Amino acid sequence: VSLCQKGREIGRAYGGKPVGSLAGIGEVLGKKLEERGFDKAYVVLGQFLVLKKDEDLFWEWLKDTCGANAKQSRDCFGCPQEWCDAFL
Amino acid sequence: MAAAAAASGPQQLSDEELFSQLRRYGLSPGPVTESTRPVYLKKLKKLREEEQQQHRSGGRGSKTRNSNNNNTAAAAVAAAGPAAAAVGMGVRPVSGDLSYLRTPGGLGRISVSGPESPLGGPGGASTAPVAGSKVLLGFSSDESDVEASPRDQAGGGGRRDRAALQYRGLKAPPAPLAASEVTNSNSAERRKPHSWWGARRPAGLELQTPLKDGAAEDEEEEGEDGEERDPEAEEPLWASRAVNGSRLLPYSCRENYSDSEEEEDDDVAPTRQVLKDDSLSRHRPRRSHSKSLSPLTAKSAGSRLETSVQGGGGLAMNDRAAAAGSLDRSRNLEEAAAELGGGCDQVDCSPIPRYRVSAKKLAPLLPPPLPDMDSTLDSSTGSLLKTNNHIGGGAFNVDSPRIYSNSLPPSPAVATPASLRINHANHTGANHTYLKNAYSKPKLSEPEEELLQQFKREEVSPTGSFSAHYLSMFLLTAACLFFLILGLTYLGMRGTGISEDGGLIKNPFDETFGKIQESEKNLMMSTLYRLHDRLAQLAGDHECGSSSQRTLSVQEAAAYLKDLGPEYEHIFNTSLQWILENGKDVGIRCVGYSPEEELKNITDVQFLQSTRPQMSFWCRFRRAFITVTHRLLLLCLGVVMVCVVLRYMKYRWTKEEEESRQMYDMVVKIIDVLRSHNEACQENKDLQPYMPIPHVRDSLIQPHDRKKMKKVWDRAVDFLAANESRVRTETRRIGGADFLVWRWIQPSASCDKILVIPSKVWQGQAFHLDRRNSPPNSLTPCLKIRNMFDPVMEIGDQWHLAIQEAILEKCSDNDGIVHIAVDKNSREGCVYVKCLSPEYAGKAFKALHGSWFDGKLVTVKYLRLDRYHHRFPQALTCNTPLKPSNKHMNSMSHLRLRTGLANSQGGS
Repeated sequence: VSLCQKGREIGRAYGGKPVGSLAGIGEVLGKKLEERGFDKAYVVLGQFLVLKKDEDLFWEWLKDTCGANAKQSRDCFGCPQEWCDAFL
Repeated sequence: MAAAAAASGPQQLSDEELFSQLRRYGLSPGPVTESTRPVYLKKLKKLREEEQQQHRSGGRGSKTRNSNNNNTAAAAVAAAGPAAAAVGMGVRPVSGDLSYLRTPGGLGRISVSGPESPLGGPGGASTAPVAGSKVLLGFSSDESDVEASPRDQAGGGGRRDRAALQYRGLKAPPAPLAASEVTNSNSAERRKPHSWWGARRPAGLELQTPLKDGAAEDEEEEGEDGEERDPEAEEPLWASRAVNGSRLLPYSCRENYSDSEEEEDDDVAPTRQVLKDDSLSRHRPRRSHSKSLSPLTAKSAGSRLETSVQGGGGLAMNDRAAAAGSLDRSRNLEEAAAELGGGCDQVDCSPIPRYRVSAKKLAPLLPPPLPDMDSTLDSSTGSLLKTNNHIGGGAFNVDSPRIYSNSLPPSPAVATPASLRINHANHTGANHTYLKNAYSKPKLSEPEEELLQQFKREEVSPTGSFSAHYLSMFLLTAACLFFLILGLTYLGMRGTGISEDGGLIKNPFDETFGKIQESEKNLMMSTLYRLHDRLAQLAGDHECGSSSQRTLSVQEAAAYLKDLGPEYEHIFNTSLQWILENGKDVGIRCVGYSPEEELKNITDVQFLQSTRPQMSFWCRFRRAFITVTHRLLLLCLGVVMVCVVLRYMKYRWTKEEEESRQMYDMVVKIIDVLRSHNEACQENKDLQPYMPIPHVRDSLIQPHDRKKMKKVWDRAVDFLAANESRVRTETRRIGGADFLVWRWIQPSASCDKILVIPSKVWQGQAFHLDRRNSPPNSLTPCLKIRNMFDPVMEIGDQWHLAIQEAILEKCSDNDGIVHIAVDKNSREGCVYVKCLSPEYAGKAFKALHGSWFDGKLVTVKYLRLDRYHHRFPQALTCNTPLKPSNKHMNSMSHLRLRTGLANSQGGS
């Protein structure tokens, strides 16, 4: 079950979940992210925050890092965004 | 140019320089770390290219392309570019139109890039929100949303992708395009975008082949379209295109929160459809090639892929172009030309065709020489034209050949392509529209399908059970009738034993008649027959009530026989003897003076009786009927008795449960009171550590309830005495009178400080409601509220009332709620609400959506009114606003504490 689907899992432990459990990130992309050091979901969340929650930049970064396409990136972006909306 | 020079060497920038450069452009970048560095580098590049373009175009004033507004900016630019190109083409758009056109682009930009990105208003047009909202279709969200709207796909051919592609940083190309867009006067300007687009596309295409996103593709195609189109044609195009960008976001949001989205599809679909068609048709004239391609590709399953590829190509091109400058562009063009020459693939399957299409467009688009790319462009144009010719003969989709052949202008004159294109529009427009419709319609029904199925489940059961009910009744009646008739028939049969009699009598005759002479046999037989008949008749009469005599005395029998004939007299005794000896039932029974008397010989026989009374049909029927009725009545009585007993038992059981519950409630309250009293005593040593029982009772139960609750109270007291170890019952003398008191004896330094977890209370709002996560206006008066409870966790029968109360209390300022229904069985915890009008529903939406309730995040969707009525027919007649049942506002207690504002909920 990927995180943040339809906002129902907002707030669930972003914590120890692997990055592959983010929406839009499957096995392949997850592996690539892990290779780059983004092995946990919260690290991606951190990157999102570092990029000042800018969707475009986040998308660029994701594309560069693991070759995600627009849809994957959008899905993936939705998770941290909702999380931030809920908790920040 | 300084910018160009600077652009050529971004790699040498240090982090600080990069940071400052970005700041120079008005960006507010985050920390430049090793993971964010490449991203910011790209951004810087784009910004620089933009700057270059703007410089080149002389700062037309459309320079507002804010780096932050990637999405729509790209779209807008793209749109602007085509528009400009179109103008250049000779369509004569007005510059005002362009800026006007830009508005949707700007709008899209706004919506896409989100509120945080500052918008650089292009050329003064800033009616973005207005224009956008009209066509805000929003994202198609992820696949789980049914509404993955074909509309989006069809209409936008992946507008989503386009927008996404915009993300890619289609900044530089749009910027120049925008710049060129703005100015009508400079045809060169216009042309630049075109060529740029074309250049970009070829370059992008081959660079972005691995890319599978489709945004840029569509975008570019759209852009191309825009380039060639007139302003007003551009506008809807833009709107749709920009909308696409913005559409992506809101749409998905709408998907999320609006069931009516799916249902609204019906309503909105036509408009969208129309919009798309219009755009399409418009596109067609403009850029028939790509247009035909885009809708067609959109139609295909992998549309997104295709568009993305193309878009990606475009984007890449943009990037390239931006980065490399004119050199790249020309190179790209040549590459593009080469690509085109590479042969035609199916449009749907590969980016190349699209690419080609773009290139083709380029060809016609390419107007008079461009400022810096003229030479290259011309050559490219020529090659492109050639390839166009080549392609025209290729195996493109249906429209393409037509388009291509038409579009292949003998000369690169602007006017010709434009006019040709317009002609194409006539042809292809119809096709596109038709195809689009065909494609969209089935998809359109999908969202409806989902909702239909949602309610179908409930629908089926009522109607099914209806007919099932009748069927069962009918079967039951039939069975009853059948058994009745069977019983009657059986009973009727008992009276007719004549034939059997004959058979039966015959047998004994054979056995015991051996001793009797042959001559007498027949006589005996006939005697017996006669006797039997007479007796049967008599018995029948007796049974039917018409005669009071059942038996025939021997003398009478003899007399009767004598009447029949003289020969019978002698045989009478023999017959009697035979009957006596014969143990079987021959239909005649010999009875003595008393029924139990044993008959030894014929002298004891006094009466003759028939064992098989013969009755008339009517008599039989009547008897049978009466018997059956009696039996049925007895049966029903028995069943009723059983039911009554069961009901009574159930009632008693429920009552017991209720009483127990009350008792436990009371016990809990008492314990709370005692505990708090104990705590108060800890702090305040003046208080007595015990509490008199009557005082506790009087403080917990209202005076008017005391009599009612007496039993409960007594049980609670007994329970406490027997089962609660922390409370001790003592007798104390207070004020001169003896009281039974309770003393709390648990030391307070224990785990009694249990956190009171709020149950069924509102806990604040998770996020502010803005345009991104809520619909811009209320769509219907019906809402579906999700995640209000977990059916597995709820206990008891009355929890749904608490939920209803909570909702009413949350919307207490909104007196437009007329019907609430809690779906107790839904896994998602759904509550359905109907309001007086969409405005009230919107208010309720704002109050509920995104709030935390009982630790769960509540979401709200709009539902279609007719579906709601279908499911809850009782809601049809509801029109009195509902209010919370009491003024306590229990569910808002936490909010009150926290915010101090009981009811005012934030929100947009």
